Amino acid sequence: MLRIVVDLNRCESYAQCVFAAPTVFWMKDEESLEYDYAPDDSLLVQVERAAAACPVQAISICWLDEQLEQQGGNHSEQQ
Amino acid sequence: MIQQSLYEQVLDYANRANPYPLYAQLRQTPVTRQTDGSYVVSTYREIVSLLHDPRIGSDFRKRSVHDRPPAGLSTNKEQAFKSQVPEVGTEASASNEGSETEVVPSFIGLDPPEHDRIRRQATWPFGPPHKPGRVADMESELICLANRQIDTMKGKSSIDIVEDFAYPIPVTMISKLLGVPPEDQARLHALSEAIIEGIDLDPQKSQEERKRRQEQSGQTFKDLEQYMEALIERHRKHPGSDLLSGLITDYGPDGPMAQPDIVSTASLLLIAGHETTVNLITNGMLTLLRHPDVLERLRREPNLVIRLVEELLRYEPPVQILPNRVALADITIAGTIIQKGSPVILLLASGSRDPARFHDPDKFDPDRRDNMHLGFGCGIHYCYGAPLARLETQIALTELVRRLENPRLAYDQPPYRQSATLRGPRHLIIEIDGVKD
Repeated sequence: MLRIVVDLNRCESYAQCVFAAPTVFWMKDEESLEYDYAPDDSLLVQVERAAAACPVQAISICWLDEQLEQQGGNHSEQQ
Repeated sequence: MIQQSLYEQVLDYANRANPYPLYAQLRQTPVTRQTDGSYVVSTYREIVSLLHDPRIGSDFRKRSVHDRPPAGLSTNKEQAFKSQVPEVGTEASASNEGSETEVVPSFIGLDPPEHDRIRRQATWPFGPPHKPGRVADMESELICLANRQIDTMKGKSSIDIVEDFAYPIPVTMISKLLGVPPEDQARLHALSEAIIEGIDLDPQKSQEERKRRQEQSGQTFKDLEQYMEALIERHRKHPGSDLLSGLITDYGPDGPMAQPDIVSTASLLLIAGHETTVNLITNGMLTLLRHPDVLERLRREPNLVIRLVEELLRYEPPVQILPNRVALADITIAGTIIQKGSPVILLLASGSRDPARFHDPDKFDPDRRDNMHLGFGCGIHYCYGAPLARLETQIALTELVRRLENPRLAYDQPPYRQSATLRGPRHLIIEIDGVKD
């Protein structure tokens, strides 16, 4: 599963990611970016375009193994 | 003969095909004062620092020192025109007869707070927060357009990437975006070309020749302004879904854009749409043909194009130089004091090849991860059209590489356009064995 992390300390609100993937990233107001951290896998190309376009390289993309996530979920429930 | 400075050698047409060794020499001294009182900045750290510095402005009216004063041109308006257009930045009245038309720079030539307001107004119908999907929604149309252009190459063994492909794509898209009727496109092509070619900083050209070209370019700019006024009038009466209609009728919290600002913004977007992405696409194909292994990889891995276009923006950027900044105060940087009122010239393409910032900077490496290039500048004047330029180039290169059979350079190197600032080949002749469906 596709996962996104944006380093909001780096983000300078150029909004290039919003142009590239407008259903995944959006501006809440002029300054603050919000995003869907778990977009549908079909949006991968748009998300890759968004990450590459970021002028401050604040966007990371990763793949989450579903089994691992379930184990992680169980683990946290046990705590 | 007078010895040319390194920067004058960059402007010299003789060095257009490969300015990069000159940039490397310039970087030995990050900030150099030119004999005309301007300062040339060539290193990554210093360029980024100045682009984020509020003491650096973009408004020519704040200059007290004028670089390269053209013989016989002395009024403010003429200086305004001359100093702005190389950056495709202004709606200056280029009158040589001293008409009273007001000089209205577009937002590329303004400083905060005016800049910020007009840029927000210009972004309202183009992108977030109001129209976040405007550019992304153009994807399927761009794919169709690229393929229509490639279809015209069927049956040919030799094609010009510039005329047959790289020029028509951005021009068709910017015309559509601005709601320019198709029958006007040829005329605007000619106007845009005349404006850019009229602005020739080449020190090898005689003063007289440069003056003549500037005057001609000024008249052309007036023609473009008149065209835009008429087009705006038509859109005001019959608004469509295009960007220009949006600028006129669909405004946000900043209120409607003033008429002179609409004219200057539309003119800026039109020229920028004609003179920049064409070079990014052409430089892209040239670079791929010089790196056949990368071209072959792109054919197999189409998504490589995303990072590849970023690397192109670092390695062969279409905008090489930002020639029109001005120091709003005395600024001490890299051991030099840039005096208030002085023109400041930022060599973006040099910064993006700075070995102090990029590993192995002269290598074209589409897998480069650490790539905060200066292809679109940075700071408040970051390229407005960047999202469109990226998508156009990604699609253009993907489709070319997918469909052309055995593309190869007819000769290397290609002839270049005149401009050192907006740099790219005038023609790029390639040979092909055929075109796939």
